[in-house]
Amino acid sequence: MGLLSILRKLKSAPDQEVRILLLGLDNAGKTTLLKQLASEDISHITPTQGFNIKSVQSQGFKLNVWDIGGQRKIRPYWRNYFENTDVLIYVIDSADRKRFEETGQELAELLDEEKLSGVPVLIFANKQDLLTAAPASEIAEGLNLHTIRDRVWQIQSCSALTGEGVQDGMNWVCKNVNAKKK
Amino acid sequence: MRLKRFLVRYYPPGIILEYEKGGELKTKSIDLLDLSPETDVAELTEEIKKTEPLITASRTEQVKQLIQRLQEKLGQQDDRRFYLFKVLRAHILPLTNVAFNKSGSSFITGSYDRTCKIWDTASGEELHTLEGHRNVVYAIAFNNPYGDKIATGSFDKTCRLWSAETGKCYHTFRGHTAEIVCLSFNPQSTLVATGSMDTTAKLWNIQTGEEAATLTGHSAEIISLSFNTVGDKIITGSFDHTISLWDVQSGRLIHTLIGHRGEISSAQFNWDCSFIATGSMDKTCKVWDAVNGKCLATLTGHEDEVLDVCFDYTGQLIATASADGNARVYSASSQKCIAKLEGHEGEISKICFNPQGSRVLTGSADKTARLWDVNTGQCLQVLEGHTDEIFSCAFNYEGDTIITGSKDNTCRIWR
Repeated sequence: MGLLSILRKLKSAPDQEVRILLLGLDNAGKTTLLKQLASEDISHITPTQGFNIKSVQSQGFKLNVWDIGGQRKIRPYWRNYFENTDVLIYVIDSADRKRFEETGQELAELLDEEKLSGVPVLIFANKQDLLTAAPASEIAEGLNLHTIRDRVWQIQSCSALTGEGVQDGMNWVCKNVNAKKK
Repeated sequence: MRLKRFLVRYYPPGIILEYEKGGELKTKSIDLLDLSPETDVAELTEEIKKTEPLITASRTEQVKQLIQRLQEKLGQQDDRRFYLFKVLRAHILPLTNVAFNKSGSSFITGSYDRTCKIWDTASGEELHTLEGHRNVVYAIAFNNPYGDKIATGSFDKTCRLWSAETGKCYHTFRGHTAEIVCLSFNPQSTLVATGSMDTTAKLWNIQTGEEAATLTGHSAEIISLSFNTVGDKIITGSFDHTISLWDVQSGRLIHTLIGHRGEISSAQFNWDCSFIATGSMDKTCKVWDAVNGKCLATLTGHEDEVLDVCFDYTGQLIATASADGNARVYSASSQKCIAKLEGHEGEISKICFNPQGSRVLTGSADKTARLWDVNTGQCLQVLEGHTDEIFSCAFNYEGDTIITGSKDNTCRIWR
């Protein structure tokens, strides 16, 4: 994936290609999720200092997924990647209750972004394999997701580690991008 | 017309004549692109004397000496090994492109962190950070050979012109409606050309900061552009599978080079402006007659997309880099494959010659840069250390320093 391939993925995608932006706080599990989607080894994942891009086939779509590092100092650069986004996937560490407020704030800011207006958003309540994980319903309530009215949204509990729930989320993505691209 | 003095140019070999005409100081160059250590100096001097009226009998001895000096330089053995000198970690996000100034005293790096940084090559110290862009700084250039200005092209759709000495921004060129992904100064350093995802290229006047021309005609993103050595023509390579040749003065389209069956990745002129080489996603490189726009040859052999092409400084060799992980060197005139450079374990995104034309440098997704012998195709060195893909690499003009820019947010100096 050299610079040129990145430029090609930057173009507004043709009908059967979907540009997905994967965001969330650091340590939410975005890269693990990306690798799980691409059926790659997830045993050695380090904090993302930049970005990762992978293309996966799903239900007749080519999903170009952009996983962007979530550390605080690089969050201001998320907007580098907003252009031509078809679906936003926001990943939350469901076991890290101390940071629910922080993650809720970041999500709210994203939903206010003009370049992401109307873009369907899927929220992955990740790390459900941990005993201390909050259920999706609790997160939805804590983050006031029910107040989102300017777009379609969905919260899906999952474990990027075991893969549980991931496919369900992607099915929702394909269904809803379909509606938008039509 | 009165000859004032001689200047010698090593790469590509040539002698520059500085002369006076009607009270005005002018220069012209005698290109010696075929010069080798074996060339008969007396014979060559005679030839020059016959064709160049400025070279009179009293000057021939001087010309002879200059040619001998060039030959000495060309004959120097080049068995240098490169070692990692410095790792520059000042960018907080992946790098895009890197570029040296002509003397090699400083170089610049563009980054996803929206800045371009100017570095001192000898110490590895950061001299300036060019801040102002609101998105990725993708395309960067010095106005070589002068080296006093820098242009940056950004995903924020603007191009900025900066002072290389103070880091001050002179102009912000606005007008493109999508990401700027390639740019170049003309050789006179009076214009900057920018190519954009908005399918147009624009020429900007450096002095006034105003748009001089918009080159419209492509039906898809422009990804590569290059001025010829004289600066009166420019080519643009596009994702629409074609290359366009434009007249700089009028902004008029002269030829469209049609024949590739995939997106263009790179388009370059050679030194004497006789050839154009283009790389494409159709797995081939094509060589075109730069005057009439006809395709002279299709260089096949790669098993995947050709991601970069370049000429050596004399314009006699072409190197191609491919997503198949291999690179190749071809003769520009015979279009025969001279060497296959095999060994990378991932796609090669960037390729360049050293100014001497004896080595090829490749940067790859396998996190290494490699140095190759042009004649044997042998890999001479693997530059290891980056922890992620290498996006860009470059030689300085002396050919004794290499810089590599990577997705791992670092730039490394090797010497």
